[in-house]
Amino acid sequence: MSPFTPSVFYRDPMAALKWLEQAFGFETSMLVTDASGAVGHAEMSFAGGKIGVGGEWASPEILGPAAMKSPASMGGVGTQFIRVALPVGIDEHCARARAAGARITQPPSDQFYGARVYRALDLEGHVWSFDQPTAASPSVEEMEKASGLTIRSSL
Amino acid sequence: MERPVISPLLFYRDPKAALAFLQNAFGFETRLVVEDGQGGVIHSESFFGPAFVMVCGPPSGKWAAPGDLGGRRTGSVHVQLAEGIDGHCEQARAAGAVIEREPADQPYGDRVYTCLDPEGHSWSFGQTVKAMSPAEMAEATGREIRETL
Repeated sequence: MSPFTPSVFYRDPMAALKWLEQAFGFETSMLVTDASGAVGHAEMSFAGGKIGVGGEWASPEILGPAAMKSPASMGGVGTQFIRVALPVGIDEHCARARAAGARITQPPSDQFYGARVYRALDLEGHVWSFDQPTAASPSVEEMEKASGLTIRSSL
Repeated sequence: MERPVISPLLFYRDPKAALAFLQNAFGFETRLVVEDGQGGVIHSESFFGPAFVMVCGPPSGKWAAPGDLGGRRTGSVHVQLAEGIDGHCEQARAAGAVIEREPADQPYGDRVYTCLDPEGHSWSFGQTVKAMSPAEMAEATGREIRETL
């Protein structure tokens, strides 16, 4: 079980929960609402992984000038994206996401590092990257040669 | 080793300094760094337990570090610890993390602290001190808690 749970913030977190279920097949596993029915905190699971979903918020006494924002409030700018590992079925997953209204910014394609990858924007502009291993399992030398990048195993 | 299902990627103006910070402050371990040869890191994996966060930068286009946005950010990362949360917080503080909320027991059964890293990304760390069912959490917090949409 991963110790990491990344959270994403939305203007309309309830709509986001519905959308993420429909488009990506995530499942709402915890939904905390206040007396007005607003989402206080939510968690979704997918194949044993977990994300947090919340509304935009700011709290000067806790956060100072900082604020949790949706990309929809930031002209599409983001500070984080989430990568999701799929064992199989990436092309079908992409088709389902597209049908639900995801904007596919990079259709499924094989990458030099031995993965098939697609990227999508969700309903408020968060970026999601899905990947699935391909049959190729290139060595570090092969990957460096193919890409011109430097790959190291420590800082 | 099985691949973690969910991995967050965070953008930093100085990704190598960020990787060093995550190591010193939080005890993460860098196991992969992919450099573009022009000072940029296009992919990295900083492990904690069986999973990792990815650090990239400097950001361009539609990407930014919170420090470039007056502290606004579109995500945050929670890390669940098995033990030692107070000591973890002290190590983070000593390494330069800005502690926002000191370690404190929460009504839902976890002890939690939150902090900012040097570029303004927001982290929370939790440790379960009392395992509670959703019904018990709802009772303790006064919120409605459901397990489906």
